[in-house]
Amino acid sequence: MKVAQLSLNELRALLVGPGLRVKAGPFNLSIRTRLPSLIRQLHSLYSRYSLVEEDEIVEFHVQVIPRRSVRRPFARLIQFEVDGRFPFPPVPLEQALATLEWGVNLVIAARINHFLLFHSAAVERNGHVLLLPAWPGSGKTTLSAMLMYHGYRLFSDEFGLMEPQSGEFYPLPRLMPLKNQSIEVVRNRLPEAMLGPEIPGTLKGTVVHICPTQASIEQSDETARPRWIVFPKWSAGAAVRLEPLPQSEAFLLLATNAFNYEVLGKTAFNAVTNLVRGCECRKLVYSDFDEALAVLNALTDG
Amino acid sequence: MADCEKNIRAEHHQLLLEAIAQPADLVNYNNQQWELLLRLARRAQLSGYLAARLEKGGMLGSIPLRAANLLHSSLIQAKKQQQSVNWELNRVIWALDGREVPLIVLKGMAYLLLDLPNAAGRIFADLDLLVSKEDLNQIESSLLEKGWQHHALTDYDERYYREWSHEIPALVHPERGVEVDVHHTLSSPLGKLKIDPLPFRKAAVRVQGKDIYVLNPEDMLLHCAVNLFQNNELADDLRHLVDFNEMLQFFIYRQPDVFQQKLIERANQLELGNPLFYSLYFSRLLLRSPVSTDLEQQLDRKPGWIARHVMHYCVPLALLPQHPDQPSKRAVLARLVLYLRSHWLRMPLYRLLPHLTYKFYLSVFPGRSTDTGHNR
Amino acid sequence: MFWKACNFSSLPVENWNGEFTVFQPESGKTHFLNEMGLKILIILDQSPASLDTLCQKLSEYFTLQPDVQFPGQIARTLQRYEALGLIARVKESE
Repeated sequence: MKVAQLSLNELRALLVGPGLRVKAGPFNLSIRTRLPSLIRQLHSLYSRYSLVEEDEIVEFHVQVIPRRSVRRPFARLIQFEVDGRFPFPPVPLEQALATLEWGVNLVIAARINHFLLFHSAAVERNGHVLLLPAWPGSGKTTLSAMLMYHGYRLFSDEFGLMEPQSGEFYPLPRLMPLKNQSIEVVRNRLPEAMLGPEIPGTLKGTVVHICPTQASIEQSDETARPRWIVFPKWSAGAAVRLEPLPQSEAFLLLATNAFNYEVLGKTAFNAVTNLVRGCECRKLVYSDFDEALAVLNALTDG
Repeated sequence: MADCEKNIRAEHHQLLLEAIAQPADLVNYNNQQWELLLRLARRAQLSGYLAARLEKGGMLGSIPLRAANLLHSSLIQAKKQQQSVNWELNRVIWALDGREVPLIVLKGMAYLLLDLPNAAGRIFADLDLLVSKEDLNQIESSLLEKGWQHHALTDYDERYYREWSHEIPALVHPERGVEVDVHHTLSSPLGKLKIDPLPFRKAAVRVQGKDIYVLNPEDMLLHCAVNLFQNNELADDLRHLVDFNEMLQFFIYRQPDVFQQKLIERANQLELGNPLFYSLYFSRLLLRSPVSTDLEQQLDRKPGWIARHVMHYCVPLALLPQHPDQPSKRAVLARLVLYLRSHWLRMPLYRLLPHLTYKFYLSVFPGRSTDTGHNR
Repeated sequence: MFWKACNFSSLPVENWNGEFTVFQPESGKTHFLNEMGLKILIILDQSPASLDTLCQKLSEYFTLQPDVQFPGQIARTLQRYEALGLIARVKESE
């Protein structure tokens, strides 16, 4: 059953009461909140997600709750809570959705160690995974949002979830936060995309969430093996370039950016070694998305 | 209403306590029980402990996959933390470079060095060391010289540490981030309960094959008991009671005829009857410890009956984690009582009130400091 | 004073076209080394060596021109390696 099949009242009853139990890739999530604005936003933006089947275990239980501040008694603040803990300070009510999404990512990054968690976007084409690791100026969220509408299946814009022994990657298609200038780009290029409200004033500037396509969410149980690692860099006015990247550099960048590389120790050392040795490593510089798409299609065609 | 609340609490506490007492039964838990148990175990910082027990029994494959994945994740985390603290100890020994400073390793790292049954999957992040007061400066300067740094502290905190508490401020190597706490006493020097560290140091035993020491078994248990019932406010501290009970069973198993007697004698000698009394009492009450009630009757010092009743009511409410979806007001009150008690035990009242006021001020105005020295 | 490598032969090493990743199980750290950095560990693993002997062996292996700054650079590398627990000081060459 999908969230879309719930009326707003039914959804509210869950969010206010026992929690909305919803599937997120290999994990299950329970969300609770009383905030009317957040309930309305989730009604549309979570409509494509499936409810957790009866009697399945939920891993993460999160809440977004209203807060009072001694210092700012008249401000309407909210805070993200997970199992009695508050990892972020309170923020204005308008940022509830952004805080919820970041909070869930934080909980996954802090608790999950049976996967190696790369800080990377991941998409699939022709049955194999293309990793787009995060590094400064990568614009990985925008790029993966665009690719998702041009023949690629979205795994995630944030997490490369790898099972370290098998090397298999797991999809985790969650809402993706578009930031600042990229919001207009996506509005113009992808009029069919489902977008959330404009959220100004977050730590990362103005944010708008884009919902993964129905197909990406429906196939989120289908894992795949990696074949390409491309470090993207958006650079204004640059002509498109797809250049080889030394494997040692790919190793260094992947390992130092992973959320739990050190925690997994030798398992991670071996896993990253095998990953890099088994993949084609490239560096992509681009300014125009169509040009980037053309070279990525050429790379992933064969 | 009160009965209803009591039932809810009893049920989730029972779930966690059963899991600790009978890990073999975990293979029969349904998904609903697992979901609640995992949340409670995480709060009590016992998920690594449960995972280690299941792994040892070869049962991680016989429980629901989602539960196994979360437990496995906790176990990986715990193993990494243990490795980090172990390596920190290696680096501290290196930094002291042959100087004749006997190091006594305390708490989590000591359990690990001795491979005690409670060490597997135990979550701990700090390295705790006991040294003589005379060696304190030498160690501090050696570590500072080799790259360790003091945690950034306000002047107030620094003074609190050095003058009123029993530690120098924690030392951290910025490349590794493990806290090294160097103690020269085992409780606050201003606390009502005076603990002379000298007999503990004298009785310390050398770790096989290494140039470091740990407390002897009786003292290790007493130190654990003191930390639980004299130094702490007990909130979510069930894991330390689990430590106590696991170690107690293990040492009794190793020295079946004599250990219990040695423990009582040592507690009487060091006048630590009260914390040992409570540790034995609550191990039996909550963890079904098989030790006989006759044992604590031999203690010279025991808490009076009023204290016993208050503790009997408050301690389980504080030690055991709250229900994650149904927090109980009574537990909050019990925790407040124990919080005040712990500070009462640790510090004279004229010191305590300004300290609590300052902590409260900070919790309302984080980032602000009353340090006027810099704001003139 | 002599230097020796700590259990170097038991550490997993991966070669990436002349750059190396080394995993140190005791600390759980991954070290990135160039060829010179790795060669230092290999030499000190074969037998303990003084700074002079080490510099001499490295100069021979990499056929380096004499450079007054070279021993200073190697000494700093050794200090760094010692802090990382990759090498240790020993009194004798055994």
